[in-house]
Amino acid sequence: MNATASLTTPTTATGTRPGNRDGYAIAITVFSTVKWWGRAALPVVFTVPKIAPQTISTLQRLSFIHFARWSLIREIPYNGAPQPEIKLRHPHLYFESNFNGGWEEYIDAFSHILTRGMWLFWGSSYGFPKALPTGPFKAYIKANEMEASHFYSAYPQATATQITRALELDELLADLRARAADMPPDEFAAAFGTLMAEAQRCC
Amino acid sequence: MTATATALDLGDIQGDILRAYGNAYGRTSYVFVTIRDPTGGRDWLRAIADRVMNAAPWPGAEKPSCAWNVAFSAPGLAALGVPERVLRTFSDEFLEGMELRAKVLGDTGSSSPEQWDGGLRHPHVLVTLNGLGERELEAALTELRTEVVRHGLEIAHEEHAHTLDGAREHFGFADGFAQPAIEGASDDRAEGGGVPLRAGRWRALAPGEFILGYPDEDTRVDPQGRLPSAPASPLGRNGTYMVWRKLRQDVALFRRTVAAAAARYAGGDERLLRAKVVGRWEDGAPLVSHPIDPGTFDATAPGANAFLYGDDEDGRRCPLGAHVRRSNPRDALGFEGRLSFRHRIIRRGMPYGEPLAEGVLEDDGADRGLVFVCFNASISRQFEGIQVQWLNDGNVFGLGHDTDWLLGGQNGGSMVVPGATGDDPPFYLAPQGPFVTTRGGDYLFVPGLTALGAIADGVTG
Repeated sequence: MNATASLTTPTTATGTRPGNRDGYAIAITVFSTVKWWGRAALPVVFTVPKIAPQTISTLQRLSFIHFARWSLIREIPYNGAPQPEIKLRHPHLYFESNFNGGWEEYIDAFSHILTRGMWLFWGSSYGFPKALPTGPFKAYIKANEMEASHFYSAYPQATATQITRALELDELLADLRARAADMPPDEFAAAFGTLMAEAQRCC
Repeated sequence: MTATATALDLGDIQGDILRAYGNAYGRTSYVFVTIRDPTGGRDWLRAIADRVMNAAPWPGAEKPSCAWNVAFSAPGLAALGVPERVLRTFSDEFLEGMELRAKVLGDTGSSSPEQWDGGLRHPHVLVTLNGLGERELEAALTELRTEVVRHGLEIAHEEHAHTLDGAREHFGFADGFAQPAIEGASDDRAEGGGVPLRAGRWRALAPGEFILGYPDEDTRVDPQGRLPSAPASPLGRNGTYMVWRKLRQDVALFRRTVAAAAARYAGGDERLLRAKVVGRWEDGAPLVSHPIDPGTFDATAPGANAFLYGDDEDGRRCPLGAHVRRSNPRDALGFEGRLSFRHRIIRRGMPYGEPLAEGVLEDDGADRGLVFVCFNASISRQFEGIQVQWLNDGNVFGLGHDTDWLLGGQNGGSMVVPGATGDDPPFYLAPQGPFVTTRGGDYLFVPGLTALGAIADGVTG
């Protein structure tokens, strides 16, 4: 062990805190305080993808992101004593997302690919520095990020891309299986070859 | 402020960062020195400081007989008396060092630190000597060894490397084509080495991606023109981070494995299969632009390296898992390369050990491989991003958990070589043992010459 290592805070291989990982799945949770006008603006922003799904097509192309969700928190739910009642002076933006890969690469994708979208969601939050340049944006996310106290993935050894591809392959296999029973060997060999050619992007 | 407005201080930047010595200097020795006490260490540094080569152009055709360069690990800086408050301004991964990040990097099993060459664990100072020839290098080595002993220090490890015929590495491939184009240093290499733009144009990368204290790609889009984080002054200007790794190559295992696989592939075309694994033919011709045959490839011709993967999305020409496509994906991740352009490194590797004779398929027990050297301003974003997210895991490319087949690793992944046309079935390369094993290394800091003087004088803050 080298002595200078004690000057750092170790993270996992993916650049996040240990509590945010379950196998290949990584969680990110960010709270930010919202300015007065965000209380009205954010609900409008949230309806845009529902009315015009094409606005989030770029996000959907980033297959290593399982999902990304922004919610406006106006009050802390009260479950009775001994929990203290907390009144929020400002609403808070609650962001949660699951992804595969590295934390830096995840934020890079937000910065470089979803630049304008980030402003729509976080523009009304105090301290938001814009999505570009990435350095201040990463520092902002880091400062507002909370390590998960419990994070669970149903398929910790698989990524979302793998699961999607496996489901695609399953469909192709099911189709071949249904047709295979009546096929003579030559025809089956040809059909299997076709399936392999079609499925080579599946993994 | 824009990156183009900034001239690089070549007189203060160490010469091995921006200049590929290997093009002119056939021999390189890497000497790791252990500091026993700060005073002796600093005296020694002062004694050798004037030999350290900067990046200024050499006047005329005269080349120095031997170029000296110096780099420090975090424990090395501490051993020389750099105070903790200054050390804290360095990056976390540098402070942790390569050994502590072994699991992150996939250095496990036979590549784990317990298996490394003894002298490559916890190194302090690396002196790199590039000699025009054997005689010049030996003279410099003798001088260095004498100075080390005279100041009560120790040499922990020496690694002697040299270019192989045809500038090949031990597996037989020409290496080192895809160097980044850097504004103010290598703008002329932008085509193929820089960032791809629309309409076939390219631009060089901001210098701060590779040299500390200069605008980086973030600065380019920052209205306030802020510079990237760097160690405290005077250490944070004209320096950079260096990754040094000794990678042993099992040439016989690689040859046997590829030959056995090729017997089942495309009519036994082993040359094509080797190219599919690497993404380039042995002479360096890219598969994307030369899918059938390397032809007569001239690496120095304009545009020779200016290829993209956008019109080869399925990897019919260059497999998605090919080594060069994984390590420098250009636009292969989509979005015009915006997910990859901040993960570039300057590579300065050099082979070590004698080549295994052509055609030999049994290991002769000799130690041979590659001394991997790269320079980058952020080890975590650049080197580790490539190593961890692109080479050790294939998810981002749609390759599941397959590791880079050329490197293998402890749980070497399979590799899919897609058929050349839509009707051709894919060819599967089974997981294999590690062709490449890590024998040691560390993360180092390469100071500018002013900063080197400050370290030697003990006035770093």
